Amino acid sequence: MATLRRHSVLPGFNLALGFTLLYLSLIVLIPLSAAFIKTFTLTWDAFWAHVSAPRVVASYQLTFGASLAAAAINAVFGLLVAWVLVRYRFPGRRLVDALVDLPFALPTAVAGIALTALYAGNGWLGEPLAKLGIKVAFTPLGVMVALTFIGLPFVVRTVQPVLEDLEKELEEAAQSLGATAWQTFSRVIFPALLPALLTGFTLAFARAVGEYGSVIFIAGNMPMLSEITPLTIITKLEQYDYAGATAVAVVMLVTSFALLLAINLLQAWMRRRQGQR
Amino acid sequence: MSIQVRNVSKNFGNFSALNGVSLDIEPGELVALLGPSGSGKTTLLRVIAGLERPDSGQIYFSGEDTTETRVQEREVGFVFQHYALFRHMTIFENVAFGLRVRPRKERPAEAEVQERVHKLLNLVQLDWLADRYPHQLSGGQRQRIALARALAIEPKVLLLDEPFGALDAKVRKELRRWLRRLHDEINLTSVFVTHDQEEALEVADRIVVVNQGKIEQVGTPEAVYDHPATAFVYQFLGNVNQFHGRVRRGIATFGSKTLAAPEHETVEDAAATAYVRPHDIDIARAPGIASMPATVSHALRVGPVVRLELSRDDNGELVEVEVPRERFDDLGVAAGNVVHLTPRRAKVFLETPHAAVGARP
Repeated sequence: MATLRRHSVLPGFNLALGFTLLYLSLIVLIPLSAAFIKTFTLTWDAFWAHVSAPRVVASYQLTFGASLAAAAINAVFGLLVAWVLVRYRFPGRRLVDALVDLPFALPTAVAGIALTALYAGNGWLGEPLAKLGIKVAFTPLGVMVALTFIGLPFVVRTVQPVLEDLEKELEEAAQSLGATAWQTFSRVIFPALLPALLTGFTLAFARAVGEYGSVIFIAGNMPMLSEITPLTIITKLEQYDYAGATAVAVVMLVTSFALLLAINLLQAWMRRRQGQR
Repeated sequence: MSIQVRNVSKNFGNFSALNGVSLDIEPGELVALLGPSGSGKTTLLRVIAGLERPDSGQIYFSGEDTTETRVQEREVGFVFQHYALFRHMTIFENVAFGLRVRPRKERPAEAEVQERVHKLLNLVQLDWLADRYPHQLSGGQRQRIALARALAIEPKVLLLDEPFGALDAKVRKELRRWLRRLHDEINLTSVFVTHDQEEALEVADRIVVVNQGKIEQVGTPEAVYDHPATAFVYQFLGNVNQFHGRVRRGIATFGSKTLAAPEHETVEDAAATAYVRPHDIDIARAPGIASMPATVSHALRVGPVVRLELSRDDNGELVEVEVPRERFDDLGVAAGNVVHLTPRRAKVFLETPHAAVGARP
């Protein structure tokens, strides 16, 4: 980033940059700033009253907490799925590979209804779990299940190509130096995968924070318990409280942006160290 | 530490990478496994390292059967063509890796790790790079670090897979001389794989020429270059001219030229090829005894030698001749001139279907 303009074989830097900025403005910036502008119709006190209401605060906690937990679960098991898909050849591998993308394609409402039917007190999984005293549907746990479901492809699809490109020689080098299988994984393979894993985690997290369709069915939407922030915003809209809705949306946007920026900076730092950029 | 390879075979699916290979490597030797790509030389090295399990046959280190020993316990230093450095670790940590992963009881104390790593980094003359990351180093520096890392575990043997293959010509030349000096200094039994005959000739104590999963010839660089055992070795080690003809009872005839071939005295009549190196052909403007007339088509000045491309007047076959520059200037020939060629030294091989693989002494 030392110089803004760099000599390149392909001309048109100015045009490309101009188009990029225009495009980003139209698609991302203008709709988002509309939310901010609408919020400014509120006084500071009214804004604060909206965003710090106990019911709203509880929804932040659930949304961000469940999203982080779901992204963390996906990071662990997504890595496992990617590992199995890359490293082993077994009948039906292509099928499993295609299955991973399904949460991308499925309408989220369908996923939500399916998960609710499965985990409700009389569902296939809900009934045995209820006997063990675990209630999934209509609890924060249910929210986490739905968010885990929709986030899985992000981790698998970001880790998979990196794992495929990982040179076999690195493992052989570690082993010839006397490393055990676990040491080879934890000291050589895992650090090499960490940047990609973090990207997958970030994407899964970002998706989970904004998720609406699959969650509202399984969550039960009980205030203070299983109400997510996107639902709070919808509720306010349905009550024609547009300014209040945008106020909550602004808090969500700023928090999400801060978290994503922090993760991106962490990644940039790791990349610099490893010399990938 | 000596290495014995006994009757090792290895297949990958239908492809036979090694076919009953046996080889003895003496303690402290620097041996080159030389062959074209796909010849099985890398597979042989990997079998010695324990990175590949042979389908049959045994590997002995100092007479001890290590065929079943896992690579982790085999105590070999292995250097990869593309370095395989751990890029998230500093150079220091890369070299220290082999010490740090030892079982707790055998792991040296931190002070000893520091001392040993710095000693190794000094040995490869790169101690000043200890805190850098691999991507900040040049290819030649990375390969030296890879070597230091392999030496850190105090291996019994050092195995190098095309160690200079990814480097440019100048660095490659420097590094192979450096490797030769290093080997004389530490005197560790070493085996390296290469497809570059010049590299093998310059660095190795002994060369093992491998082709199609079999060993064609084992010998000192001089022996392999001057007395190739098979037609393949002749062709593979340097440029060579081929003259096609026939052998009858020890006399080989190639067009107008005859050569004595006493090694084929028992042959009644068979197709044969004479192999002559470009620098083993004399060139003159006047015809000599049994010389071959040929027409110069190109003269290329390559550094101190001039490479001449000629076509034989009797059958139009292409002949390559190398002469020193002064000799070329004395001759004063140019493209289109007719000159007379006399092979100084030739080796005749029969053109039986197995001549290229079978004839081993």
